[in-house]
Amino acid sequence: MNSAPEVLEIVRSNIVTVVPEIDPAEVRREVSMADLGCNSIDRAEVVALTLEQLGVAVPVAEFQGIPDIGSLVDLLRKHL
Amino acid sequence: MTPVPGTAVVITGTGVRTSVAEDTESFRTALREGRCGTARCSRTGPGEPAAGAELAAFDLAAALERRSGLSSGLRHSALRAARRAPLGIQVAVVTALEAWESAGLGRDGPPADRIGLVVAGSNLTGSYTESLYPKLRAGRSYVPGRAALHLLDTDHVGVLSQVLDITGEGCTVGGASASGNVGIITGSRLLALRAVDVCLVVGALSELSTLERQALFNLGVIAGGGDGDNPPVCAPFDEDGGGTVPGQGCGALVLETRESARRRQVPVLAEIAGYGLALDGNALADPDENGEFRVMSAALRMAGLSPEDVDYVNAHGTGTVLGDRTEAAALRRLFGARPDGPWINATKALTGHCLHAAGVVEAVATVVQMTGGFVHANVHLRRPVDAALRFAGRRAEPAHLAHALSNSFGFGGVGTSVLLSARSG
Repeated sequence: MNSAPEVLEIVRSNIVTVVPEIDPAEVRREVSMADLGCNSIDRAEVVALTLEQLGVAVPVAEFQGIPDIGSLVDLLRKHL
Repeated sequence: MTPVPGTAVVITGTGVRTSVAEDTESFRTALREGRCGTARCSRTGPGEPAAGAELAAFDLAAALERRSGLSSGLRHSALRAARRAPLGIQVAVVTALEAWESAGLGRDGPPADRIGLVVAGSNLTGSYTESLYPKLRAGRSYVPGRAALHLLDTDHVGVLSQVLDITGEGCTVGGASASGNVGIITGSRLLALRAVDVCLVVGALSELSTLERQALFNLGVIAGGGDGDNPPVCAPFDEDGGGTVPGQGCGALVLETRESARRRQVPVLAEIAGYGLALDGNALADPDENGEFRVMSAALRMAGLSPEDVDYVNAHGTGTVLGDRTEAAALRRLFGARPDGPWINATKALTGHCLHAAGVVEAVATVVQMTGGFVHANVHLRRPVDAALRFAGRRAEPAHLAHALSNSFGFGGVGTSVLLSARSG
């Protein structure tokens, strides 16, 4: 089972894949993807890529309205 | 349709990318040299299409980097908008930027809401759709939400308008293999109506899915066979033509009212002096000599020219036996059997059939030959279907081309011909 830091690392890598202008060091639990400069389409793709890599099949709708990256990581871990 | 005085439509910028060239200048060289982009498809068996004229490996960031002169703002905006987009969108962005810069629109242009955008082509996402099915099967959540945008043909319109800040009229138009010319005609009409002062017309790349390619092959349109490592070729107007070769390509034209070009003091490459667009009243893939004759005649009439004035025809010429014979018959009827008749060649012999983009790619080929003073070779032509027509030979020839027709005919009886003139003033 992936630990929280491992899931954060996967999210970070996907954020940088989708928007390479983002500095990986800026991807921290307390910031939101929107703050980093991801638009709604980018955010949806980061979630889809991460679900695919974790092998988690959860409806994407569950990931809407998440305030920050830490909450995203915690929600993803619940489904592992 | 008689042109309204003062609303003559001219071409002030070109962009192109095909299997044989990455921009207009390399396209000119490729045409002069008669370079052919056809290659054998890997891993194909009997009953499958054997050849294609595909783009060399394409990398958006590298392609933008090679466009020197591009402002860092435009480069960044292009990357941000298209980095995760399908190949067709990425190629459209780079090709449109070439046309945009060559027309001097990177430096100055009319207000954003006086610039229009017409993207030619329909059903552009077959290959992208195919690539997403494995994700759908593996897990519904794995389908990226952005696909909802990229699965639309109009994503081209959205992305290009964002990158270039175009806020005038915009749409996609379709006409099967005649789409490119339908786009040029639509753009010309927006300008003639004064809906906009500048109109970017982009012929979109067709990245065929396995399914679409196979259906075209089973219909007998795509050439099969070939010999050992030698792929089958697209040999327009040859008695032995065995079918077409699908090509990947994208073309872009900046169309503009002559008034706007004069105001901006940019050079005019050619004028869109006339065009014809007509249906055959036929849903099939059958070419129609009457329809082809009618659209070429209409283009001449609109330009106020007679057949004797035409120096060159960039034929539809796909390499399919029936299509080429029909077009040859229509050309013979219009121009007669004259030794000094117009030069005729078909760019598809080199680029393959660029499908939706073909009309725009071939308009660029026509402009390049008019401004370069030559006609490119019919590289695979050995036994012409009609000895009385003046087909270009196996080598490029110097030629003064003042007036040229560029033909495109699509499935479902969509006939088009565009008349380009070098006349200035």
